[in-house]
Amino acid sequence: MASIARQSSFLRQTCLSAFRSPLATRNGAGVSQVVAFHASAKKQILPPLPQTIQGTMNDAAPIPTPHPSEGSYHWTFERAISVGLVPLTIAPFAAGSLNPVMDAVLCSFIVLHSHIGFQAAIIDYFPSRRVPKTATFCSWLLRAFTLTTAVGLYEFETNDVGVTEAFKRVWKA
Amino acid sequence: MAALRSTSRLVASSKPLFRPAVFARSYATVEAAAQDPNPSEAPRTKTFHVYRWNPDQPTEKPKMQSYSLDLNKTGPMMLDALIRIKNEMDPTLTFRRSCREGICGSCAMNIDGVNTLACLCRIPTDTAKESRIYPLPHTYVVKDLVPDLTQFYKQYKSIKPYLQRDTKTEDGLEFRQSPEDRKKLDGLYECILCACCSTSCPSYWWNSEEYLGPAILLQSYRWLADSRDEKTAERKHALDNSMSVYRCHTILNCSRTCPKGLNPARAIAEIKKLMASH
Repeated sequence: MASIARQSSFLRQTCLSAFRSPLATRNGAGVSQVVAFHASAKKQILPPLPQTIQGTMNDAAPIPTPHPSEGSYHWTFERAISVGLVPLTIAPFAAGSLNPVMDAVLCSFIVLHSHIGFQAAIIDYFPSRRVPKTATFCSWLLRAFTLTTAVGLYEFETNDVGVTEAFKRVWKA
Repeated sequence: MAALRSTSRLVASSKPLFRPAVFARSYATVEAAAQDPNPSEAPRTKTFHVYRWNPDQPTEKPKMQSYSLDLNKTGPMMLDALIRIKNEMDPTLTFRRSCREGICGSCAMNIDGVNTLACLCRIPTDTAKESRIYPLPHTYVVKDLVPDLTQFYKQYKSIKPYLQRDTKTEDGLEFRQSPEDRKKLDGLYECILCACCSTSCPSYWWNSEEYLGPAILLQSYRWLADSRDEKTAERKHALDNSMSVYRCHTILNCSRTCPKGLNPARAIAEIKKLMASH
């Protein structure tokens, strides 16, 4: 009995392609319907890249040129700034003193921190490998914005009340 | 049935060259399960939507195909359901599978929105909800649920995943390790390279050409942490650029999705700490 069952299943596997249509009608409840996967427009913002992989499948993926100032030093610097921002943000309000030097340090840290953050976003979303012109444009745009911010903060610090005092006034307003 | 099967094994092993087709080992079937253990039980029909794309018709768009199975006659895991669909309904459905117990990593796919191994993923018993099965996200699809992992394996090769050592031990025996050093490799050596974590990482989606991804970085740390390996400095140097490691933004999808319960994000954090301290 079991052997017959096994044999029949084996035969059915090998011959299934020949008998697919009668089987499909018998298993009509099983394979129900085929629906469209997506109905997206043919126009795409970023057309897909050619689906190729560099080198043969037995080659190792290329190792990028070591560049510590973009790698480990960059990461350490970034983390130091992020950690440093915490006491710098709390200190002026906790201590109650408004030192212009502390204000200057806080401002420069904020500028550097946001620059590094936006830089990471640009590297992620506009990789120069894929969109070299956009990547260059974005990084120069970011530099321009960072410089403008730095100049603006400098003006605000020297000619006006400064960041900490401004926040204090807004908070109490 | 069991007795007959062992007999057929004996016959097959004694005459391997002239194995008749009747005794040839066929694929797993559900004949045993088809003899309904509880015939009175009402059928629990669940619908599975499976991603289909055939390279023989490259102009056709990928589509979702629906299959309905009675869970009473199906094994408990998603892989059982897929095998049953392939055996009984649609032999054209293509997917990878091998060990059916979560050690080969072949059946990695996206099931109900989570990258996991089909063999370790239970079919949700709620039949009102329909299951959706896709190939691993952001991979080139070879056919249906089969992704192209060439780049993944090329990146694995690039980290030199083997013991690199120039000096011999004093007694000329094997390279020994203290139990403490061996303990550092726990949670790293269990990785089966199923690519669930890497393909769940948005950073890897955008930059898989250069960013190594969580699975490869976990393997990289496995060799960095090995006390017997003598090329730690070279390994660190090879990672010291903006793309290989530092595209990790601690999104932690990797640790969340790992079907083996490993923590690739922690391994990447350890790499970053190692790199910062040289």
